[in-house]
Amino acid sequence: MRAGGARRSRSARGLRLNIDRVFHALGDPTRRAIVERLSERPQSVSRLAGPLAITLAAVVQHLQILEQSGLVRTEKAGRVRTCQIEPLGFSVAEKWIHERRAIWERRFDRLGDLLAEEE
Amino acid sequence: MEERSVTHGTFVIERSYAAAPERVFAAFADPAKKRRWFGGGEGSEMEEFEMDFRVGGTERTMRRMGPSTPFPGVALTNETFYEDIVPNRRVVFAYTMSLGERRISASLATVEFVRTEKGTDMIFTDQGAYFEAGDGPKMREGGWGKLLDGLAKELARP
Repeated sequence: MRAGGARRSRSARGLRLNIDRVFHALGDPTRRAIVERLSERPQSVSRLAGPLAITLAAVVQHLQILEQSGLVRTEKAGRVRTCQIEPLGFSVAEKWIHERRAIWERRFDRLGDLLAEEE
Repeated sequence: MEERSVTHGTFVIERSYAAAPERVFAAFADPAKKRRWFGGGEGSEMEEFEMDFRVGGTERTMRRMGPSTPFPGVALTNETFYEDIVPNRRVVFAYTMSLGERRISASLATVEFVRTEKGTDMIFTDQGAYFEAGDGPKMREGGWGKLLDGLAKELARP
């Protein structure tokens, strides 16, 4: 698995390319499950694979995609490879979708207020 | 190397309202009600609001960006096309957002109303294509984050 380097560039181009990978990486339910579990705490690959009901090889493949997207970082210590969240990747993705999401969240807050007023 | 021009993103918002699906649906179908939550109450000036709530009908809203945004005075336009309407059950619409003359995104939005004991569970799914700036060095400098932060702030103004 490759180290960070150029893909963590903060240049506009770097960020856009990274965004593309981030969305691809998060477009898969197994990878989202991996990210959710890693956001609780760093874990070894084999421990991650346990409850996922997929092969270790499949987990490694998903981790590769997550790592290439900049969402997850893995490090090998002895025989154990440990995975953890890479916060930089998330800040990139958030900038794109979360603001739009926030717009709708506020609209639906107001919709709730409106419905409550009508009572 | 060519820059990518489109990024796709999907998000889902779930809300529970203590109101029957008929009432929640009405808040989407009735222009006076919709205006109050969709655009109204935000302080910034809504200059246009037209809606034709039927399958094949369109909706257009336009507001001006405030002085605290990266694009003061620029029009923010929302154009909607109603794709599917099942009363009290579902509304599906395609919408674009434009900043000035520039399209910034096109999305397919699905709103589902599920009757519950307490009222309605509403599920909103937004599948969007977000366009890169076709021009405007300011947008490149600031990046989408700054732009969208500004948009969000503008829309959040009391």
